[in-house]
Amino acid sequence: MSFSHLHVSTAFSAHYGVAWPDELAQVAAADGATALACTDRDGLYGTIKHLKACMEAGIDPIVGVDLAVFDDDGDHRTQLAGRVVVLARGHNNGAGYRALCRLVSDAHARTSGKAGGAVPVAVTRAELASRTLDPKTLKPVLTVLIGPDSDVGRAMSGRRYLRPRTLFKSWLDAMPPRTLVAEVVSQLTAPGAPLSTAHAVRMLKLAEEHHVPAVLTNAVRYCAEDGAATADVLDSARTLKSLSELAAEPLLQPNGQAWLKSSAQMLQLGKEIIRAAGYGAADLKQLMSQTEALADFCRIDPVTDMGWKQPVVPEASVIGISQDPHDELVQRCEAGISRRFPGISGSAHKDMRSRLEHELGIIRNLGFSSYFLTVAEVSRMIMDMGVRAAARGSGASSLVNYLIDVSQVDPLQHDLIFERFLSRDRATLPDIDIDVESAERHNVYRRIFDRFGSERVTLMSMQNGYRARGAVRDAGMALGMDDDDVGEIAKQLWRFSARKFREALVEKPELREFAGRVEQRDFAENQQLDLLVDLTERLDRLPRHISMHPCGVILGDATLLDRTPVQPSGLGLPMSQFDKHDMDPMGMLKLDVLGVRMQSAMAFAVREVIRIHPSKAEVVAAGAHPAGPDGTGPDYIAENGHIDLNAVPLDDEPTYELIRSTHTLGCFQIESPGQRELIGKLAPREFNDLIIDISLFRPGPMKSDMVRPFLEHRHGFAPEVYPHPDLKPVLQETHGVTVFHEQILKTFHVMTGCGLARADEFRRALGNEVHELKVEEFFRKEARVKGCTPEVVDKVWGTLQAFGSFGFCKAHGAAFAVPTYQSAWLKTHHPEAFLAGLWEHDPGMYPKRLLVAEARRLGIPILPLDINRSQAEYRVERVADGPDAGKLGIRLSLNGIYGLSGTELKRIVAGQPYDSLADLRARSRLSKPSIKRLAQLGAFDSLHRESGGAANRADLVQHLQQLQAAGGTRKGIDIMDGQLSLPLGDVELRNVKPGLPAPTLVENVRAELDLMAIDVSGHLMDSHRPMLDRLGVTTADKLLSLRNGTEVLVAGVRIATQTPPMRGGRRVVFISIDDGTGCVDSVFFHEAQEQAGLLLFGTRLLLIRGTTRRTGPRGISLSASMAWDLSRVESLPFAADRVESTDVPHPLDGISRSLAITGMGG
Amino acid sequence: MGMFSESVDVVCNPAGQPLNLQWAGRHYTVCAEPVRWYERRQWWAEERRAPLGSGPGLVDHEIWRVQVQADPRSAGPRDAGEPLTLDLSRHVGSGRWRLLRIHDALRPQTA
Repeated sequence: MSFSHLHVSTAFSAHYGVAWPDELAQVAAADGATALACTDRDGLYGTIKHLKACMEAGIDPIVGVDLAVFDDDGDHRTQLAGRVVVLARGHNNGAGYRALCRLVSDAHARTSGKAGGAVPVAVTRAELASRTLDPKTLKPVLTVLIGPDSDVGRAMSGRRYLRPRTLFKSWLDAMPPRTLVAEVVSQLTAPGAPLSTAHAVRMLKLAEEHHVPAVLTNAVRYCAEDGAATADVLDSARTLKSLSELAAEPLLQPNGQAWLKSSAQMLQLGKEIIRAAGYGAADLKQLMSQTEALADFCRIDPVTDMGWKQPVVPEASVIGISQDPHDELVQRCEAGISRRFPGISGSAHKDMRSRLEHELGIIRNLGFSSYFLTVAEVSRMIMDMGVRAAARGSGASSLVNYLIDVSQVDPLQHDLIFERFLSRDRATLPDIDIDVESAERHNVYRRIFDRFGSERVTLMSMQNGYRARGAVRDAGMALGMDDDDVGEIAKQLWRFSARKFREALVEKPELREFAGRVEQRDFAENQQLDLLVDLTERLDRLPRHISMHPCGVILGDATLLDRTPVQPSGLGLPMSQFDKHDMDPMGMLKLDVLGVRMQSAMAFAVREVIRIHPSKAEVVAAGAHPAGPDGTGPDYIAENGHIDLNAVPLDDEPTYELIRSTHTLGCFQIESPGQRELIGKLAPREFNDLIIDISLFRPGPMKSDMVRPFLEHRHGFAPEVYPHPDLKPVLQETHGVTVFHEQILKTFHVMTGCGLARADEFRRALGNEVHELKVEEFFRKEARVKGCTPEVVDKVWGTLQAFGSFGFCKAHGAAFAVPTYQSAWLKTHHPEAFLAGLWEHDPGMYPKRLLVAEARRLGIPILPLDINRSQAEYRVERVADGPDAGKLGIRLSLNGIYGLSGTELKRIVAGQPYDSLADLRARSRLSKPSIKRLAQLGAFDSLHRESGGAANRADLVQHLQQLQAAGGTRKGIDIMDGQLSLPLGDVELRNVKPGLPAPTLVENVRAELDLMAIDVSGHLMDSHRPMLDRLGVTTADKLLSLRNGTEVLVAGVRIATQTPPMRGGRRVVFISIDDGTGCVDSVFFHEAQEQAGLLLFGTRLLLIRGTTRRTGPRGISLSASMAWDLSRVESLPFAADRVESTDVPHPLDGISRSLAITGMGG
Repeated sequence: MGMFSESVDVVCNPAGQPLNLQWAGRHYTVCAEPVRWYERRQWWAEERRAPLGSGPGLVDHEIWRVQVQADPRSAGPRDAGEPLTLDLSRHVGSGRWRLLRIHDALRPQTA
């Protein structure tokens, strides 16, 4: 006899289930089960994974959900009456699954989509009843299981006889016939307790009395006994209470019996229940066979019930097509030829034509024409909105995409291969990713919903699993540890999987102190710490919650919401419960519309250029652009000064000069310390070099040491080597080193004549233990047939094997390189507008404050906050007076000041200019604390000067402080009489009593850091300068003039911390600091990490000793040997005979906003 | 509470049901059908480690409530004849038995 489990939560029941669908399916199949249900709580989160797992294990999937039900008698919006399991019936062409999807969506329809919303996920009994019948046939398609967690089951404790019967009766009255069963569960708890055999007996008898079938389940939460402890920790995380608190209530599971018991164990359970009920063998048989009968009803056919792997795209009529979609696509490509390739002829024309035919043939065969038209429609819609958009990913390999304006990269020019994107042998919908301005992303989403109709569109979700930090926090809470203690430990966990916590304790220097505490076995706390490590490892990767995927939008036809349940996202738009792994199995078309801040920053910069230089002539002059065909400037600059970035030629020499200088801060993809080092070594001269640079800076190439030989060949230090002369055309652009997927495809094709489509299949098989062997066999045989020597075959195979799974798709690189080039171009020609754009949209990896340093380096004045000149955004402004008169500067924005609300900001800007503080109070209705903060930041300094008052900023702040203390924080007009609208200048400001010393630079900088997280008046390291001089510290701007291998001390504030994957797998930590003259990139190898220990990830201000490493003609970095915490003066390596005072005032003292300032979360 | 309880030797039938036991130097025979359930342990307070793959027995232990009669040969004069109700726990991992509670006619008392 086999047993089918009908009530099983997988790990995708967040903070509840423990086991992964594939473990469950395999264990069930191994025990001889032929079907297994997945009934996650509140949704179908694990359903598709369950389907896949069951298909792989060779058993039938059953799908359902575990849902809360609103109390009919209570407040309908908040009061619940237990939970029930709902199973979809199968083999009815999806009627059951459809009803289940809609029911789950119903349960979420009233929730807010935000964490901690007041309305729970639940359905009313009426909704449940109406969904159980198919609206067309009126046949039952759902089955509701009334079990121990239902209102009926819960009423069974105590010795009440009538209550459960009344409740069960009302279920029978509410539900259509043949849709209800009783779920009998015994988890062998103490006699008379919930989930005890006695309760199971009561449920069984109740079912008998009302002639309702009873089924046996084990309400499974984990695969085996071992999962019970994890379930306890999840209960704690869900309820935010420690295990001891939960045990006292008692809210923990009563014991650890909720595992996927074997058929024999379930039969034994059945026997115990039947015996306790005083029933006989026939009743046992009936209970078990009713369970199997329900399982049989609910077996799902993945293909006919759920549309497994059948692509669905929007109906042709929706995208405005009346003819055959393929004919339409052909016509649009034809139209694209004259636009994209004006005047093309000869062999170029022939090549282009044959490529187009080739692509269209494959697209037609796969039936994907509508898919391309859909993507083109979305892409056109975005551009019509005036939003910058660029296709990314392998979609750039397609000429069709280029012709229908989905992609901006010419695949012929860059030698991109269509088969890398789509081939006859790939029947899944390919990915096309569209990058849009981040600031416009949500508008784009809304427009897509409007355009296609909300029944055809939903956002994709993503599963957020536990990582080390979250896991240690929740494990600590379960153990009832002190929050701060756990927080301290969590801080030191830096990018490793929680599952390797114990391993990491041995290896990672920053965890050494913690490891020592775990080791000391004498104290009670260490028992806790030991458990903390174990529980953290248990939580690893378990899903915590779903959230909106950062870019995925699902497009379908009018049946989309029959195929995926949806719930509100934080954005208000509906979100599918399925994630990216579910798209392909469910045949769903997913479009990645990714918000890219750099696109917003560039769009902003282009607008600023027009605003400051409102004509073509002014832009040409300001940006030193070439004279162009007719002497008035290049064609990509319009008469009104608008720059068409996509039309800027990719060969601007000054741009490459800037890139080679490695001053690429703010440039897309090439601003990280590692990239700056690579750029310095590679010294790009042309666009293809950028593609190569971006493709090399990937985990694979870095790990497998492709970079060094490439650079040696490139600079001619070592001769280029080709394993076979036929491969020279394939590998020439990268000097004999295999970098791109495209080169791997061509190598396969050249060596074996296999064709590019098969070559891409071979590439995918590389790295797969099973398939790689077959590929190798084929490769060796065919290459020998083509006459290669065994040595050549060995060598080429070695390369393919080593790099095949690592290489980068050139189409990706090319698509990435476009914004890289464009951002560098803007930085070269319009640095002020570009920096303003960076400030406004903050696209980079560094804290914003580093851009201040970059502006200083570039000689761009930063104009202070000013109540009349600052706007709601960063602005380029011509400096009116002072030493920088005539220059373009950047005026700080009022946005992002701590405590200043969005509405206050709007009112300030709407009311500008102001002639007095009274005027400001009257019209902007600012709160008193906001006014004080603006004063601290100097926003009233110019107003104050104009008023002719003798006091300084400190006096004004004190004055405002006193007003605040006197009158509370009430907003509005409660000022001295007689000032309103009298053009007397600012009497209040003029009369502020002088007396206090003016604020020091350190105080001003501290206020800026505290309120804006940037240091403008001075660099935050300036106050350390005297001490650093005594230590003999070298500044960043001096490093380049030092010889390679010079030992130096450097000091600064942390701006970036990275642990990129490295050759040999040993961790390398990159720490970049900023000292006011520039950045110092330092690298900590193993030894230095041992030396630095806790300082590696925990310190804001660092003193580092190291030796200089020259990385290129213009690049230098530091190989660190030791680090100190600058704020702990007593620990610093001063000469022995000196006594140092330890009370140096520093702007960072008392400021806790670490993330914004140093890029390190606390 | 497991840590303070007494160790007991229990002989079971093949299905795992206790038949007789030896406690404090005396033999007892189970004289009525025993009742079994599983009860939670405060494992986070009692255990030092809880690594993945610890297996069964971390979160709960098996409890058997048995009625026993002292073996006449080993019985002292005080308790001969009177059946006793005992709660025994079996650690699922190690199979070790401990005496948890002794019930007398009026109220249970902890061993």
